[in-house]
Amino acid sequence: MRQGALRSAPWLSFGLLALLLYLVAVPLALLLVSSFKPTGLPLDAGWSLQNFDLVYGDAGFYTLLRNTLTFALGCTVCALAVGGVLAWLVERTDLPFRATARVMIALPMVLPPFLLAMGWVLLASPRTGWFNQLFKDALGLTQAPFNIYSMGGMIFVETLALVPSVYLILSNAFRNMDPALEEAAMTCGARWPQMVRRIFVPLLAPALVAAATYLLIVGFLVFDVPGTLGMPVGLFVVSSRIVYLATDQSGGTSAYGQIAAIAVTFLVLLLALAWSYRRMTRQTNRFVTVTGKGFRPRQLKLGGFKPFAVAAVMLYFVLAVLAPLGLLLWTSLTPYLAAISWEMAGKLTLAQHSSVLSNPRVGAAAWTSIWVSMLSATLVTALALLVAWTVLRARSLGQEARNLIDTLSFMPLAIPGTMIGMALIYVYLTLSFIPVYGTAWILVIAYVTVYLSFTSRTASASLIQLHPELDEAARTCGASPATTVRRIVLPLLLPALAGAWVWVVAHVMRELSTALLLQGDENVTLAVQLWSYWAGGEPSKAAAVGVWLVIVMTVITIVWQRLSARKDVVFGG
Amino acid sequence: MVELKDLWLTYPGATQPSVRGVSLRVEPGEFVTLLGPSGCGKTSTLRSVAGLESPSSGSISIGDNEVFNGSSGVEVRTHMRDISMVFQSYAVWPHMTVSGNVAFPLEVAQLPTAEVRQRVAEALQMVGLDSFADRSATQLSGGQQQRVAIARALVRRSAVMLLDEPLSNLDAKLREQMRLELRQLLKTVGLTAVYVTHDQEEALMLSDRIALMNAGKFVEIGTPVDLYLRPRTLFGATFLGAAEIFKVVRTSGTAVETDIGVLQVQVDDAGTDFEHVGIRPEAIRVTQHASPHQIPNQLPGTLVSAVFSGRQQQLIVQLRSGRSIHVLADATTNFAAGQTVYVELPAERLMGLQKEVSPD
Repeated sequence: MRQGALRSAPWLSFGLLALLLYLVAVPLALLLVSSFKPTGLPLDAGWSLQNFDLVYGDAGFYTLLRNTLTFALGCTVCALAVGGVLAWLVERTDLPFRATARVMIALPMVLPPFLLAMGWVLLASPRTGWFNQLFKDALGLTQAPFNIYSMGGMIFVETLALVPSVYLILSNAFRNMDPALEEAAMTCGARWPQMVRRIFVPLLAPALVAAATYLLIVGFLVFDVPGTLGMPVGLFVVSSRIVYLATDQSGGTSAYGQIAAIAVTFLVLLLALAWSYRRMTRQTNRFVTVTGKGFRPRQLKLGGFKPFAVAAVMLYFVLAVLAPLGLLLWTSLTPYLAAISWEMAGKLTLAQHSSVLSNPRVGAAAWTSIWVSMLSATLVTALALLVAWTVLRARSLGQEARNLIDTLSFMPLAIPGTMIGMALIYVYLTLSFIPVYGTAWILVIAYVTVYLSFTSRTASASLIQLHPELDEAARTCGASPATTVRRIVLPLLLPALAGAWVWVVAHVMRELSTALLLQGDENVTLAVQLWSYWAGGEPSKAAAVGVWLVIVMTVITIVWQRLSARKDVVFGG
Repeated sequence: MVELKDLWLTYPGATQPSVRGVSLRVEPGEFVTLLGPSGCGKTSTLRSVAGLESPSSGSISIGDNEVFNGSSGVEVRTHMRDISMVFQSYAVWPHMTVSGNVAFPLEVAQLPTAEVRQRVAEALQMVGLDSFADRSATQLSGGQQQRVAIARALVRRSAVMLLDEPLSNLDAKLREQMRLELRQLLKTVGLTAVYVTHDQEEALMLSDRIALMNAGKFVEIGTPVDLYLRPRTLFGATFLGAAEIFKVVRTSGTAVETDIGVLQVQVDDAGTDFEHVGIRPEAIRVTQHASPHQIPNQLPGTLVSAVFSGRQQQLIVQLRSGRSIHVLADATTNFAAGQTVYVELPAERLMGLQKEVSPD
């Protein structure tokens, strides 16, 4: 017999709340405090608005703001248009080779965005780009037709990188639309255009708006593409500006205050976006178009447009995967940077690969990437399960505390990796008695924070499918809470959790901006090593590392696909 | 075997209590049903017995053990209570086989393997699933999954079995079949059971006693026959079946003055001030001519409609007072709409209804 007050363990929930506050709220608070400190360091004396004065008084800030907005909006619109058309072609028309098309559109996921950008530098940089040379030779131009180091180039490459995500969101929405809804409209006498306007678009609207907001957030916080294509020519968006200010030594450490001021400004914007995204995705749940009933969506006959549709899918695949990856592979095999040609083909060598693979620094970086990614994935998955359980099932905590945990675990979605990186620098320079600054452990902390929002939502989604009566049944069978979790809850959630785990491993392996900001001597990751080859003028070595990274990513992605395919088990009868 | 005393339950954050001072004693081997409309607190009461909800006050005993007491702070956790439970959603674990599901309670209790195997086989045979032991639980139909859930509850040989609307997810035909099977099974084993349902026919067919519940309270408790034939409240009369209800103006002895005239009643608690009197449609007799003898409660009226439904005829009669009443008459009755008929409300079938009674 036990006393009533102790029926479940509230200390676990309160410990969780404290941990989340420490992981998410403390860094943000220190970032905020730092922005009001003259020295830019949170524990130093005095308060001032000097940093904001400096930032807002500088005309460059408004250029930065405009560039960031242009970039974020530009790739949102383009990715929605391209991804939307591709999703519609695959899901709602009689496009041939549907299965192959799906793979071709999803495949760019294995290519880290910074590698895609590097591939496009090799394809379309004004001086050496292969496409530029092809067009100059063929058309007799004196000037290069493409310049990838531009806003247009950045939006173009980021669009290519974002299309798979858009495709995944929208194809689900297309697929889950019950054709009975459209047929009902047609039996009411609606013609095609009316049906599209009155039924199709409104039904799709929640998915479209949610996808757009998600893309906007991503557009605001990505570093890879603007860092590779904009930074070298001084074309900055906020994330690349932060990395530039933090790693550029000529400005000294005094730039920390300005970084904090810029970061705080954009965080307000991002958190507002994230908040509305969350409201919208909650609403979409009410618009459940999935009935669990099997149906085949109505398909439009493409007729004479079929070749064009096939060509569109092919074109996307060539631009997003084949051309950049092909050129990276070619570059990794050439002894020096050279365009594709017959005479070079004879000189191809594996020298770069063997030099890179035998370099102990690369080996150390690969090892760091592996253990950091696996450890972060394990920790964040366990934490996410605890968050999901507490939010959805724990009774010991009040509704407000559970909402707070839910919000804290969701917030990192809107916090750029660069800002988490910066904030952690403030935290661990301040809390210097925790000796993680400059080690790989600070990366683990950063990644657990960054990927908490994805994993906790995956865990919640699968825990929601798990009918509470499944674990209550175990309790009424005489199983203790611990036994219930071990024998019933964990085995049932395992496929989803394993999927989330692999997803995190893949994303940590390819993460660049946080690792770049937090790099010290001991914690160089594979992505950082690749970046330093690239920035140091050794593109062939960078390409060689990149090729191996893509191979690893492909293997991980295949494993992930296998695991997520198993999620369709029907729970709870 | 199970005893609830003045049980109250308010959910955290709720303004109104869901269970308001419920008391009940279930005898060994007895099958008691909590019956009521959805949201009346019946499932909350059952889940409190299982320890899945924490009541605010009152006490619960199972066997000789007090498992909850609001004033002394005793609260035994679910897995330490001598219960078994069948859920509405079956809650059959999809990652285990049929025998894995049924063996679980015994494995958790760390019984020797040989005994586990024997008791699982016995339980599966009782529910007729012995040939399905090695199937994955997801390969079963709804009815079969419900049998697995029942076997899993039987195998533990607990002091009391709790059943939360176990048949409501089955289709109508299967539900009727499982209803009879379940009753036979539980009577063979001699199990003490508390059963929750909103289906009055199910409650009438299965139970030894029914506790009729509304708005968090027990309205009436009694045997199915008592509750159906002699309900004592308006809610009891209307929830357990159809009833024609007449408002009482004045009571004097066995005569009550109602809105359709003075009626003679023949009830145990005659002389009480009734709020209403009621009668079941099948208890009303309709004849073409007035009886030559002076019989009580005979009223003339006009037949508005007669609808044949196979098993019987559904008549609507308009009385002289303007009030229309429904009557279930024999299928072979031969009336034409518009003709004059005489309805008789037999005194022994008239139900005297009070506003509120103490449930025992």
